[in-house]
Amino acid sequence: MDFEPTYTLEQEEFRQEVREWLKENVSPDISHPPDSINITEEQYQLRRTLGRKLGEKGWLWATAPEEYGGGGLALDHAVVIEEEVDSYGLTVPPYYDSGGRLGGASIMVWGTEEQKQTFLPPIFRGEVRTWQLLTEPEAGSDLANAKMSAERDGDEYVINGQKIYVGSSLGADYMWTITCTDNEAPRHQNLGWFMIPADLPGITIQPMDLLISGGEAGAGSGVKNTVFFDNVRVPAFNLIGGENEGWKVATTHLELEHGTGGRIARNWLVDHLFEYCRENKRNGQPLTKDPEVRDKLIDIYVEAEIARLFNLRNYWMRHSKADITYEGPQASYWRKMSGLRMSQSILDILGPSALTYDPQWGAADGHVEAHQRSAIVAIHPGGTADIQKLIMARRIGIGREVREKAGALA
Amino acid sequence: MDLSLTPEQEMLKTAVRGFIQQEYPKETLLEIAAEEQPVTAEPWQRLVATGWLGIAIPQEYGGEGGSFTDAGVLFEELGRGPVPGPHLSSCVLAASAILEGATEEQKRQWLPALARGERTLVPALNEGSYSWAEEDVQVVARQDGGGLRLDGTKVYVFDAVSATHLLCTARSEESNEVGLVIVPVTAKGVAIRSLPGFTWNMYEVKLDEVSVDQSSLIGSSFAGGWDALQKAIARTIPVMCAYQVGACQSVYELSVDYSRTRIQFGRPIGRFQRVEDHIINLVNQLDAARWTTYETLWKLDSGQEATDSIHLAKAVGSAAYYQACNFAHEVHAGVGSMTEYGLTLHTTASRSLYHYLGDPQFHRRRLADALSL
Repeated sequence: MDFEPTYTLEQEEFRQEVREWLKENVSPDISHPPDSINITEEQYQLRRTLGRKLGEKGWLWATAPEEYGGGGLALDHAVVIEEEVDSYGLTVPPYYDSGGRLGGASIMVWGTEEQKQTFLPPIFRGEVRTWQLLTEPEAGSDLANAKMSAERDGDEYVINGQKIYVGSSLGADYMWTITCTDNEAPRHQNLGWFMIPADLPGITIQPMDLLISGGEAGAGSGVKNTVFFDNVRVPAFNLIGGENEGWKVATTHLELEHGTGGRIARNWLVDHLFEYCRENKRNGQPLTKDPEVRDKLIDIYVEAEIARLFNLRNYWMRHSKADITYEGPQASYWRKMSGLRMSQSILDILGPSALTYDPQWGAADGHVEAHQRSAIVAIHPGGTADIQKLIMARRIGIGREVREKAGALA
Repeated sequence: MDLSLTPEQEMLKTAVRGFIQQEYPKETLLEIAAEEQPVTAEPWQRLVATGWLGIAIPQEYGGEGGSFTDAGVLFEELGRGPVPGPHLSSCVLAASAILEGATEEQKRQWLPALARGERTLVPALNEGSYSWAEEDVQVVARQDGGGLRLDGTKVYVFDAVSATHLLCTARSEESNEVGLVIVPVTAKGVAIRSLPGFTWNMYEVKLDEVSVDQSSLIGSSFAGGWDALQKAIARTIPVMCAYQVGACQSVYELSVDYSRTRIQFGRPIGRFQRVEDHIINLVNQLDAARWTTYETLWKLDSGQEATDSIHLAKAVGSAAYYQACNFAHEVHAGVGSMTEYGLTLHTTASRSLYHYLGDPQFHRRRLADALSL
């Protein structure tokens, strides 16, 4: 067993190469507001520039095939890139790109060769940013109930409907979305996915006023939106996986959304919190010396370590094509619930300073305040905590002999 | 990065699993639990004969010279039973203490014998006050003629009834240092008594003015004995955690099977989300234990500093085994509490192993220290 990718000399040399390149190419002007709603256009463009540069080197989607614009690299290379980019407080890609990640993976499995050649290179090279649009007012946990309609008309489909809790701030180039392609057909046999250029006429984006935009794992989204589709005409070429075949495509998309794929990242919040408790005093001694504070910090640390290990395991399983069953939703469920438990422990330790980003009185430069909001919101995006458990049960085969299979991944 | 086992480790896992299924089926485990006999008759002798129990002992001393992960694979399979016996206590913990603190002559005298199961050396560490701290060792050793005389009581000693010898922490009356002394169980003044109740292989050991040779003092000196023991405990904990992972896995499998076969209200009970929740909580504990354990074993194998990981793995693992059994009982209801079903073997073991080599609270405090909080 080997938990560490930098075992060989070759991999160490690669890490040095990545480290030096990042030093040259990550703008010192990139800042990290605790709440991603505060990422400006300028900050977003700095991240996009970095993404394009990473894409040119094949490092943005390191393990994706070279023929589609990826790096064609091995898992260990991808891990090195993720770790080194993470040391700058950034993700790979360094901008919200849920549609790129999930849509790209879905197209890899279900797209035609021509579709792969058309849609994947711009994603993998960092030339476009893509939103995923799944949820509707009547279709949240019950995604199969999606009602946004796509009606065939010649060479096009005409799309009408509404998606909510989707996207990010600062726009998109493409939208990866699920529609109902046949109102008469039975459930699960009436869906179709489209990769839609975001500048088509008829698309209206309206930011929602939420407690916080909430984490799908990865780069913060800033805001979530309602998106209206009013007779939007999309080329039939952009339908991926076949008309009415959308449920099988959804199994791939959802597999990755529900935690399969994992992550490599430090838990910066835990680091910030530990630093804060070492540096701040109560009753004449550092907070870390208070036995109750110490106990809660260890609670937080233990749960964060388990989350890290689940994500690392999932990252390895995905890239080594190991037989995945319940591990994706297990990691999601753990992340959501431990995050919520952590937020109470933090409130216990820090008191009301956890609730404000006031420059004078707020704890840890506002990072803690944003987490207090995101911990409660994070229960639902990317599949609710209960949905994760439901899927775990099917994959384990609790109360059933036939175990549901994981969605197909390339 | 590669989180899979090597082909050799997979082979070992398969071989041990097959052996346990053959030699330690549930009926045998229930018999052993009921009789409270020394675990040195068959099938223990057959287990010893495989040579696997020498896994933590270097080849130059007659062992298998396996890695920490190899030992983890073996003990994970043993934990599935849970297979009782002085495998961990003698072949890993005591053997490690000898490796860390003994003279070369003592190593050559003891390690091959432990690897071959010819002698069983069981650590007797805790006392009535129940502590893992050096200052709480009260059993005293005084120079007496050309040898040592030990006096005091050890409590909560695992596997004592299976021992040929005991490895006792004792405080020198002369120097006040705590060292390690080997005591044959046949020595005059040694009395071993089983602790009745909800216990698993736990004993009281009275040492009433027990005389031993000077050569019984590990390392020929009291100084350094405690440190050697601490190093041995650090090496043993991840292997013990692997045992608990296997145990949790077994408890999980029992629960999933039961969820499929127990019919109530016209359907398998696992169709009810309340029952699903118990098993999901169980598997989360199991996997938390599994991956904290595996990472620790890997760190030790790759020569890395692992103090924080050792404390993390033990804090998580002992709590996980305890909780896993609770969740399993929630799934099983009545049948789970029937001795013949076999779940209670695990439940009982989980409670006794909770404190062994440090309970979750103890390791959480040590983890805080290791993180320099």
